[in-house]
Amino acid sequence: MNVKILTSFISLLLICPLLYLVYSVVGLNFETFVYLWENLLFGYSLNTIYLILLTVFFSLFLGIIPAWFVSTTNFKGKQFFDVILFLPLAIPSYIIAFTYSDLLSYTGPLQSTVRNLYPNFYKYVNHDYLQPEVLSLLMALVLYPYLYTACRISFSLIGSNYINIAKNLGMSQFQTFLKVVIPISRVSIFSGLFLIIMEILNEYGAVKYFGVNTFTSGIFRSWYSMQDFETASILAVCLLLLVTFFFILERYSNSKYKYNYKPNDSTSENYSISRYWRSSVYIICLFPFIFGFLIPVTYIVNNVIKTINIIDLNELVQLTYNSFFLASISSLVIILIAIFFQFIKKVSKSKVVFFFSEIVSLTYALPGAVIALALIIFLAFSSKIIGYPIAFGSLIVLIYAYVMRYMAVGISPLRASFDKHPDSFDETGKNLGMSSLKLFRNIHLPINKNSIYIAFILCFVDIIKELPITLILRPFNFDTLAVKTYEYAIEEMIEKSSIYSLIIILLGTVLLIFLRRIINRGLDVS
Amino acid sequence: MWSKLLIMKKLFLLLILITYGCSNNQTEQIVNIYSQRHYDVDQKQYANFEEQTGIKVNVIKANADELLQRMKNEGENSPADLFITVDVGKLWQASDMDLLQKYQDESLTNGISKDLIDKNGYWVPVTYRSRILVYSNERVNANELSSYEDLANPKWKGRILVRSSSNSYNQALLSSLAANLGDDMTLEWSKALVSNFARDPKGNDRDQVKAIAAGQGDVAIVNSYYIGLLLSSENEEEKNAGNAVSVFFPNQGEGERGSHINVSGIALAKNSPNKSNALKLIKYLTSDEAQETYVNNTFEYSVKPNISPSEIVQKWGTFKKDPLDLNMLGIKRKDAIRIFDAAGWK
Repeated sequence: MNVKILTSFISLLLICPLLYLVYSVVGLNFETFVYLWENLLFGYSLNTIYLILLTVFFSLFLGIIPAWFVSTTNFKGKQFFDVILFLPLAIPSYIIAFTYSDLLSYTGPLQSTVRNLYPNFYKYVNHDYLQPEVLSLLMALVLYPYLYTACRISFSLIGSNYINIAKNLGMSQFQTFLKVVIPISRVSIFSGLFLIIMEILNEYGAVKYFGVNTFTSGIFRSWYSMQDFETASILAVCLLLLVTFFFILERYSNSKYKYNYKPNDSTSENYSISRYWRSSVYIICLFPFIFGFLIPVTYIVNNVIKTINIIDLNELVQLTYNSFFLASISSLVIILIAIFFQFIKKVSKSKVVFFFSEIVSLTYALPGAVIALALIIFLAFSSKIIGYPIAFGSLIVLIYAYVMRYMAVGISPLRASFDKHPDSFDETGKNLGMSSLKLFRNIHLPINKNSIYIAFILCFVDIIKELPITLILRPFNFDTLAVKTYEYAIEEMIEKSSIYSLIIILLGTVLLIFLRRIINRGLDVS
Repeated sequence: MWSKLLIMKKLFLLLILITYGCSNNQTEQIVNIYSQRHYDVDQKQYANFEEQTGIKVNVIKANADELLQRMKNEGENSPADLFITVDVGKLWQASDMDLLQKYQDESLTNGISKDLIDKNGYWVPVTYRSRILVYSNERVNANELSSYEDLANPKWKGRILVRSSSNSYNQALLSSLAANLGDDMTLEWSKALVSNFARDPKGNDRDQVKAIAAGQGDVAIVNSYYIGLLLSSENEEEKNAGNAVSVFFPNQGEGERGSHINVSGIALAKNSPNKSNALKLIKYLTSDEAQETYVNNTFEYSVKPNISPSEIVQKWGTFKKDPLDLNMLGIKRKDAIRIFDAAGWK
């Protein structure tokens, strides 16, 4: 019983600012909202749907197919691919947007070279690259790893039984993939897609630059341009409700197809591929890496070399420390809470805990700036009630906001993993007279170890890229790598921003590679 | 593993305590700034000020609207002494939200151009910039251009480049037009301008210039200093793009009002805890020394007539400024947004 109260308390702490935002919206003047609805929001919503559909489409190609080959097929360099396919996750979407637009722009290397070498051919290259389709491909290039990660875990955990049965029934690799693996993995695929869609919904910088007005643009239109924060809150609440609706829909439809994975007792014999197909597998696995990582990073490194003389090393070390410190502490807190929720949910089977552990994920769909503001308004309200001033610009508030914002990222892989293990484990444990604590330590912690690592990496990498919350809630004189990158990029000084983006990417990359290796020990890659 | 987690938890609590302790040091002389400006030159200015006065400058840099919301919610407990923006409209908004106090020291504005000073006495201008036209050297002759109003002329069909209406520089420009011409005429103008667009608004100011160089359009509306940045770029191709265009100050003719300008300014927060230090910093930033530093590092214009702009900017010549009360750029902002929406300016 106590744990239930504790779970509810933690969840309330995480969603209170949002509840307060919803509450504050009641009774507001809807005049501007009606105005926005009539003039802009319909078009903005269509743009959002278009952007989501395209990005999801690209992500499916970039994420699922490589995950399938890496998980089930024998080919040379498979472990290498398994590492590099994660790496684009280290690149923030605003950095890839700015980098590619610089790369593809009139003064960028591609157009300049073609212009100078092949003037006749140039008129075919000279195109306006700031298009929604380009944007969605760029977003997919850095977001698909969410799907890849989810599928990779799922495909590996499926175990040999399903695949062997499919083989015995004479199904080809393609048929097995389509008819057995995809349906079984739908929970994971949806959880990956859900993260991707929420990332698109809260994206602001890149969509603004590309001139694609999404629903989130509407929030900022009323807040920044119309100077009407109240209407911005109404829109934020609408977004929240919309996401909640899809969230419930997704949970409901998944609950009908609940699979417990069989323990992976024997390693399945992997598919081998003919020489003819091998090259296409390589192309499929290399494409996301080359375009999502290699090209932008090479370009950034090149810019760093150009600006190497003006780099302030002391400042760089300080910023790196700040980013690293914030990201590690916040990720740690998120993981602890997420593990706690998932474990209690699994053991207690309580509806209350289930409810709370689900709704804390919703904050992820809101733009960071809105979360930060909701927190500020909530803190102002609480400090009035307790009669003691709360300093908004403290690291504690900043971490609080990060935890609110990125809870979903930590929960998603953990939920997929906790749900996958059969309940018989718990029952056996209980029959053997294990206490809950012992059950956790001896069973759940070891079997979910991989997803705990994955959840930690994902949170860390996300937080190190975080921007709007840091801008609004940071203490005086406190900068992070992401903040510096943004400050230069927004002033159209991409070259100067490159060193900071490079460190963000490097930190993410090192962590992804390092932890990837640990994870692979637990998966089937041999 | 379990015990490790517990240790981590304790470590974490300890870290929080340490960091909290660090952020509460109140003994030294300080001044706290909430700033929308985040250029390297600002760091330089603050460092110089610290050196000369021994007053430590603390800065938070974020979007102006975010800072305003933070100040508003912090209320009486706000640590902010000064609020700095790159758009005078936001300074007016801050005063409208009752977040500022009057500086009440006439000597602060000594030597500053009269037309740049706030009539209400809330903010002090630090630099100013103009939103001007640039045109293709190949396809446009300077005498084809005259005013912002003329860009609505059908002869510019498919040739005008400008960024999105969510950009505050565009909002300030349209506010100035609405204040000068009235809402109805401004709406007519915007509609005609939108029909002359070479493409949907997107990208930043530099991208508009590059689009001229790429032949996607012929005339762009941009802030003056971006041309300076392009011309001083180390990338040859960017320099070439900058050289492919020329600068034109609109509305300079006889009887015309002059080019639209916007001010980057500074204001005293209502509940400023370190008021005397704050006033010292305002004084410093408007001193000849600091003004020289600004113009030589950012291609902005000094608010003091005796400080001449940087070399690149001087080449464009002098220009007549629109004498509109700058507070109008804030007062007319909401109307301007509705005009944008009605005209379909994305």
